[in-house]
Amino acid sequence: MNVDRRTLFKIVAAGCAGVAGVRKAHAAAMQSNTEQLGLLYDATRCIGCKACVTACSDANGLTPDTGSSNGLYQAPESLNAHTKNIIKLYRSEDGSEWSYMKQQCMHCEDPACVIACPLSALTKGDFGIVSWNGTTCLGCRCCQIACPYNVPKFEWSSVNPKVVKCELCRQRLALGQEPACTAVCPKRAVIFGKREDLLTDAHKRIAATPGKYYQDRVYGEKDGGGTQSLYLSHVAFSKLGLPDLGDKSVASGVREVSDNIYQHGITPVAVYTALVAVTHRIWSKHLKHSEKEAEELGLEEQL
Amino acid sequence: MRVHWRRMLEVAGPVVTRPFLFVSALAAVGILLSVFREFAGLHAVTALNDGYSWGLFKNFNVTTLTALGSGGYALALLTYVCNQGKYHSLMRTALLTSILTYTAGMIALSVDIGRPWNLFFMADPWVWNPHSILWEVAFCMTAYVMIALDFENLAPLLEHFEAENMPPLVRDVAGYAKRFVKAAYPYGVALALALPTMHQSSLGSLMLLGGTRVHPLWQTHLLPLLYVVMAFVMGIAFVELVLMASCTVWRRPIDRFMLASLSNIVSWVTAAWLMIRFGDLAYRGQLGAAFQLDFYSLVFLAETVMIAVPALMLRARGWREDPAKAFPTLGILTLGGMLYRYTPTTIAFRPGTGYHYFPSVPELLISIGFIALAVMGYLFTVKRFAILPATLEMSVLASTKQIKKGQAA
Repeated sequence: MNVDRRTLFKIVAAGCAGVAGVRKAHAAAMQSNTEQLGLLYDATRCIGCKACVTACSDANGLTPDTGSSNGLYQAPESLNAHTKNIIKLYRSEDGSEWSYMKQQCMHCEDPACVIACPLSALTKGDFGIVSWNGTTCLGCRCCQIACPYNVPKFEWSSVNPKVVKCELCRQRLALGQEPACTAVCPKRAVIFGKREDLLTDAHKRIAATPGKYYQDRVYGEKDGGGTQSLYLSHVAFSKLGLPDLGDKSVASGVREVSDNIYQHGITPVAVYTALVAVTHRIWSKHLKHSEKEAEELGLEEQL
Repeated sequence: MRVHWRRMLEVAGPVVTRPFLFVSALAAVGILLSVFREFAGLHAVTALNDGYSWGLFKNFNVTTLTALGSGGYALALLTYVCNQGKYHSLMRTALLTSILTYTAGMIALSVDIGRPWNLFFMADPWVWNPHSILWEVAFCMTAYVMIALDFENLAPLLEHFEAENMPPLVRDVAGYAKRFVKAAYPYGVALALALPTMHQSSLGSLMLLGGTRVHPLWQTHLLPLLYVVMAFVMGIAFVELVLMASCTVWRRPIDRFMLASLSNIVSWVTAAWLMIRFGDLAYRGQLGAAFQLDFYSLVFLAETVMIAVPALMLRARGWREDPAKAFPTLGILTLGGMLYRYTPTTIAFRPGTGYHYFPSVPELLISIGFIALAVMGYLFTVKRFAILPATLEMSVLASTKQIKKGQAA
C-alpha cells in the first residue's frame, strides 16, 4: 500500500510539473489497466465527519442532497441520484453498539449489474472499475434489480435519466489523482490502492489486533465472488447493510442456470428443428382434412 | 344436442357499442398519461423508486399478463405438437389473446424504460449482451410479437381480403399470401413455440438476479421452469375464460365438452406444477417457512390455495363440464397463477429498509389503459374477422345468408 501511495504522490507531482507529466502518468496508468484498484474502509477508524460525502459530490459535479435538513447542509438519507457515496450510522436498539458505515459501489469482481445490462451500458473496464455508458443505456433499471448492494441509482425525475453510481472517480484517476473520498479522509478510514495491497494491509490490521474485527475477516475478499471495495468492521457486516451472500457471485448463479439451459445457443436451434419436424407432419395432415371437409360442406377453407 | 365447435365465425353486430366506448375512454386516459410521462419523467406518474425500480408496467403488464396471453403458445403445443387436432377451432381465439396481451405489454414496456430513444440499439449486435437475461427476454419477445405471432394471426386477415366484395387485385394478393402461409405454417408455428418457451422461462430467470432479496419461498433455480409451466396453465385457462365470457355475452353455443377436456389438461398440469413447487421447497428445506404464518407465508398459502383448490375441483367431471361452475373455478386458478407470477417481482422482493412501493393513481390508469387497449382490439377483431369458434350449422347458415345477400344485390 505504501508503495502505491508513493507512486501516487509521484504521479501527482508529475501532474503539477505540466501537461507532459500528466500524459506520462496517463500512459503509465494505461499500461497496467488490468490491475484492480479499490477502496478499504475500516469502520473502526471512521469518525463520521462526512468529508468524503461532500468531496464526492464536488468531484462528480453532483448537486448536494440536503435531505431532511431544510436546505441547510448536505444530508442525504441514502444513496440516490445526487449521492454516489454516503456515511450512515448504525446503532443497536439499546445504544450499546454502534458504527459508521460508508456506502458506494463495491466494484464486484463478477458484477451482477454488468451481466444484467441488456445493451452493455454497464461494463467492468480499466482497473476493474464498473462504469456506466449512457450512449446505449435503455433505462431499464435491471442493474438496480440485480445489484445485491442496492448501489445503482436512477434519476427518476429526469426525462433524460442517468444511472448514478460510484465509478471510483475514474476521471480523477486519469489525471493521476486518487478518488475524492480517500483524498479527504482525515483519519485514513478509507484508503485507495491496488486490491491486493489493500487486502494485505487489512490482514495486517487483523493480525495486529485479533478479536477487534468482526469474524477477523475482510468483507469483500470472497463475499459475493469478491469485491474491490473492501470492509473491516467491529460489528456484524449484516448490521452495516452488507448482505450475507456467500462466496459465489449472483452473476455466476444466473450464468450457471442459463448456460445449462442454452448450451451456447445449441438448445434453441435443436428445439426449433425438432418442432418443425413434428408440426410439419401434423400440419399437412390437418390441411388434407380441412380441405376435404370444406369441399364436402361447400364452405370456404379455414386455416 | 351436443355442440361441436368445428369452424370460426365472426360475431354479428356493430363494433362501436357502449362497452367499447367505455374501454376506449380508459385506453385514451392511459395513452394521454403515458404521453405526459414522456415529457415529465417517470417520477411524475409512477411510485417507482430506487428500491422497487420495476413496478406495474414491467411486473404486471409484462411478466404477469403475458402469462395470461400464453394461450397461443399452450394451444399450439396441444394442437400441433401433441396432435390434438380438435382444438384447431380454438387456435384463432388463443392467438388473438396472445398477440393483444403481448402487444399491450410491449407498449407498456416502452413507456417504462427511461431512455426509449436507445431502443434503436436493440438492432445493433455490437452492443448486445447475450448473457443478460433481460436482453434474452426483450429479444425473444420482440421476435415473437413482431414475427411469429403476426404470421400465425395472418389467416383470418387474408380470408377477409379474399372475400368476394374485395377488389380483384387485393383478392389475388391475399390468395398468394395465403398459399405462402399454408406452406410456411409449420416453420412459423415452431418459432412461435420455441420463442415463448424461452422468454416465459427467462421472465423467471430474471428474478434469479434478485438473489437473496427475493424471499426464499420464491427464490429458486427452478423459477424458469415454474414460470413457463404456469404460463402454459394460465394461457389455456384464460382462453377458456374468454370463450365462456364471449359465448355468454354474444349468445353463442358453448362446446362444453371441448372446454372440459382443456380444463382436464389444466388440472393435471397444475398438479405437476404443484409437485415441482413443493418438491423444490422440501429440497431447499423451506417447507417450514411456508407454514410459519408470517406475511410471506400467508401470501404463499393464499397463492397455493388459489391454485390447488380449483385444480382439484376441476378433477370432478361434472364440475368441469358445467361452464357455470368451471368459469369461476378457472377464474380463481388464473388469479392464483397471476399472484404467483407477480409475487417474486414485488411482494416478495425486499430491497431493504426505507423503500415502499404501491402503484400511484396515474400508474394504475396507464396500466389499465393498456389492458383496455387490448380489450378494444379484441372487441374489434372478433366482430370483423372469423375468430371465435362456431358449429358447422352456424357456418352453413351464415354462408347461405351471405349468398342470398349477394343474389339480392
